Amino acid sequence: MSGSTLLSDASASIEVRDMDFSYGPQTALKNVNLTIRRNEVTAFIGPSGCGKSTLLRCFNRMNDFIPGARVSRGGVWIEGTEIHSPEVDGVELRRRVGMVFQKSNPFPRTIYENVAYGPRILGEKRKDALNAIVERALRGAALWDEVHDRLHESAYGLSGGQQQRLCIARTTAVDPSIILMDEPCSALDPIAAARVEELILALKKKYTIVIVTHNMQQAARVSDRTAFFYLGELVEFDFTSKLFSKPSVKRTEDYITGRFG
Amino acid sequence: MDSPHILRDFDQAISVLRSEVLAMAAQARHNVERAIRALMERNPELANAVIADDDEVDERERRIDQLGMEILVRFHPVATDLRLVVSSMKISMNLERISDHATNIAKRARKLCATQELPDAGLIEPLYKLADHLLHDAIAAYRDRNAQLGASLHGRDKELDRMHHEATAAFGSRIDQTNGRSADYVHLIFIVRSLERVGDLASNIGEDAVFLESAKDLRHTSNRELED
Repeated sequence: MSGSTLLSDASASIEVRDMDFSYGPQTALKNVNLTIRRNEVTAFIGPSGCGKSTLLRCFNRMNDFIPGARVSRGGVWIEGTEIHSPEVDGVELRRRVGMVFQKSNPFPRTIYENVAYGPRILGEKRKDALNAIVERALRGAALWDEVHDRLHESAYGLSGGQQQRLCIARTTAVDPSIILMDEPCSALDPIAAARVEELILALKKKYTIVIVTHNMQQAARVSDRTAFFYLGELVEFDFTSKLFSKPSVKRTEDYITGRFG
Repeated sequence: MDSPHILRDFDQAISVLRSEVLAMAAQARHNVERAIRALMERNPELANAVIADDDEVDERERRIDQLGMEILVRFHPVATDLRLVVSSMKISMNLERISDHATNIAKRARKLCATQELPDAGLIEPLYKLADHLLHDAIAAYRDRNAQLGASLHGRDKELDRMHHEATAAFGSRIDQTNGRSADYVHLIFIVRSLERVGDLASNIGEDAVFLESAKDLRHTSNRELED
């Protein structure tokens, strides 16, 4: 595959074509081909070290910050543009492709400042506009009702689940089209995790979501399609309902039924 | 399943569930066989035993449901494992209904034992043999995960339907021809009706065995569609 643009399925948001990825001499992903569709939730599952988080971090070039890490073959196209091509700016890419991590990581500032930070960096100075963005983002993250009367208190005063939803609000405040989530609920209690899952289902109306999870019930609950990775290869990618009821590949079946290895 | 589960408790629970279904199937089939034998041999004690033993089948149905629920709650099975739990619970429901038909046959056999022997009762035997054969194969399809055998039951049940219609017509005509035995022929008509239902329920079990093995849902599919 060559060239910086890819003509594809109109519903495609992210397209991975013939991609190899390595950390120095160590190959982490081999010949991955995958199309992630707009306004769907796509789950990546697989054992630790299978490459699912590496692939997720390729989508907003987070791996650029790791010395020696590189896409050694093929590439990633987002909305038809190859993200490593010279015309793509990494900072702008990460605005369009937001990320939520395993552990919530609010800035040591107020709730309001956490959400307003991104828009400010992008040049929004007007107080009214920032107020509107903060309220919209917090409402979108189902957090407004819980924090609207303490917006100027420290974000560290929030519970773990609230902090994670604040991070989601912070991500949506800069109006991305894609949200990447790397095990967003693994540090949360079941109720807080259910709130985040409910939020994911609400957010997909507006955003394309890719989620890495070790919780297969979570993948089954929230995702439209699921990709199973093993040893750096994409083993199977299908509708979640199909993959969890009648997987096509025995290795997938062995993994999801707990008969692995 | 070829490879063992990482949790040995899970394999143990699945194994118990399967064993319970197979034991229930053997019991239900045995009840039908004894009910027909009670009719043919004019043995009211055997009919009474079938009626009494239906409680054991009912109890097994409850146990299988409980085991299935426990597996769902504890292990959240997916793929083949989920289909095994779902199909086992559905099959136990069909087996319970088969045993109910054995009870119906036994109750009518008991009544027929109290009257003079009807030579026409012998017409029931070929129907029973086919119904039993279908039931045997349905259970084998589940036990051996044989989707092809399970799918074959739907078509083969049509032969039982045809025999049921013929026997019902024959017994119906006897009602008009005989004096004072109409109630006995009505009993025979209901007995062949029960055997025909056993064939339908065996066909349902065959469909469940197909779902277990291949995740295909054959319910409400015509013979022609099955051939396609």
